[in-house]
Amino acid sequence: MTRTTPHARRRTSTLAVILVIGLGSLLAGCGEDAEPTDPATSSSATSSESSSESSSESTSETPSESESAAPAGQTIDITFDGDTVTPNGERVDATVGEPITLAVTADAPGEIHVHSTPEQELAYDAGTTELSLTIDQPGLVDVESHDLDMVIVQLEVR
Amino acid sequence: MGSPATGDRILAHGIGGAKDLPIPLELAIAGAVAALVISFTVLAIAWRTPRYDAATSGRPAPEWLDRLTSSTPWRVWWRVFGMAALLYVGWAAVAGKDSLINPFLGVFYVYVWVAIVPLSVFFGPVWKAISPSRTINLLLARASGGDPSTGLYTYPARLGYWPAAVGLFAFVWLELVYPYSTQVGPVRLWCAAYLGIMLIGGALFGDRFFERADPFEVYSSLAAKLSIWGHRDGRLLVRSPLANLDSLVAAPGLVGVVSVLFGSTAFDSFKDSTPWVKFIQSTDLSVDLLDNLALLGFCVGVGLVLAAGTMATGVGEGVDRRTLPDVFAHSVVPIIVGYIVAHYLTYLVEYGQTTLTQLSDPMSRGDNLLGTADLTVNYWLSYHPTFLARLKVVAVVVGHVLGVIAAHDRAIRLLPAKHQLTGQLPLLFAMVGFTAGGLYLLFAA
Repeated sequence: MTRTTPHARRRTSTLAVILVIGLGSLLAGCGEDAEPTDPATSSSATSSESSSESSSESTSETPSESESAAPAGQTIDITFDGDTVTPNGERVDATVGEPITLAVTADAPGEIHVHSTPEQELAYDAGTTELSLTIDQPGLVDVESHDLDMVIVQLEVR
Repeated sequence: MGSPATGDRILAHGIGGAKDLPIPLELAIAGAVAALVISFTVLAIAWRTPRYDAATSGRPAPEWLDRLTSSTPWRVWWRVFGMAALLYVGWAAVAGKDSLINPFLGVFYVYVWVAIVPLSVFFGPVWKAISPSRTINLLLARASGGDPSTGLYTYPARLGYWPAAVGLFAFVWLELVYPYSTQVGPVRLWCAAYLGIMLIGGALFGDRFFERADPFEVYSSLAAKLSIWGHRDGRLLVRSPLANLDSLVAAPGLVGVVSVLFGSTAFDSFKDSTPWVKFIQSTDLSVDLLDNLALLGFCVGVGLVLAAGTMATGVGEGVDRRTLPDVFAHSVVPIIVGYIVAHYLTYLVEYGQTTLTQLSDPMSRGDNLLGTADLTVNYWLSYHPTFLARLKVVAVVVGHVLGVIAAHDRAIRLLPAKHQLTGQLPLLFAMVGFTAGGLYLLFAA
């Protein structure tokens, strides 16, 4: 540091300028990315879309809000059979705050562990069980079978 | 808040809830391209005479700071802090419940393993200052009238950092592969073995043993080389992180240490990727065996790439090619720190806060001993995944750039003139490969 020649100093400052420009453009180039929409806006957008879709066929036995929430959520079919489970570690996209239904078909009762924050545990019986699940915080959430020690799906919650 | 009601169940992987979302593909590509472009820019236009020299670099730190940090009360205070923390957390580990809200696990996996890196980057070698094994060794030596800095034997120079590399591997094995890594019992056993080995080693070889063989001290002191704090002739110095990094003295096994640190972090990303999860859950082979092999493979693979990248150059007379991997290993340290930031930031911030609340209740019975039990955890980072993803990519790229500059300066000091540029290329490719691979794992896992 003490023996820096003017030549070396010029090289250093050129280098510094290039580094700053490089990193700056990295950040700026991605600046057009929209911040993730917050749960309120995204769910209302989806629900308005789906309510208009379902309004023609739906009956009036439930209030419109919960009626539109149901089709907005997605269903994941899970089948336990002996030592195996399907799906086997797939990625599934999910939305913050929207209910997810786990439609479980099992040959024996067991528990599903959801590694959300905070974590959730869901028990199912032999036969078919519908479990409901909502995740309030973005992240990658493992849905695991305790009994098999296996990852069923990984939810990419945005 | 954040206290999972999981009871005594074993989890299929580490502690805690949700993990980070993968970074967007465009960001990963932008980062990799930036790393590539900047690397060759550095090579083309950076200085041609070495700039960093540990014997002259840096300027003296302010007098009062030097006097404060070398004063006995200051040193004793941090030793007392370290021992008090050990006793408090040891109490939780021995007498507390075997549950995920036992603060012992969070202190071990988050405060000791992850927080040690930013703390060392900001404040210098913090583990050395608080290390309970050093303190106990000191007390035992005082009691027996000996000198804690010298043991019965001289530490064999040939061993170098290899014991620390083995110790670090033992840690990452416990954290990432061992199926019961979130149960108090096995982790407590690991810690007891660690402390026992440290005390025996300290008695045999003195303080040199801690410098070379204590995995946490070696990790902390490596990260501290990216701080602005240095020492020369007993005087506290302030110098640029790159000049400080250059003052790291190479020893056998340094390449092993950086390989384990980088390889294991990459494995941690990889093991959550869909192809690996699907493969490991559908094969008839033993899952434990595959995990062990993959972790070992990542660490050894990083080591081999580094060895090849540093040795594939012409060397001058009097330079042994086989020493080059250790001599250039320092340049991987910023890459590791950048990747650690990317990989562990959310975990550190969010699980670190959770651990702070748990620390008030070491016996898991609803106590509030430290007054932190009712703090609520701030999940801001998790709620801003785009910001987080950009921060990760910037951390990885900045680490890469610092690494390339460090390697460049070492190359022009060490290599004969005609090999100075071409001799750097293999290592440069290895580094671009590490960075691109790290970004790919952040995208894919």
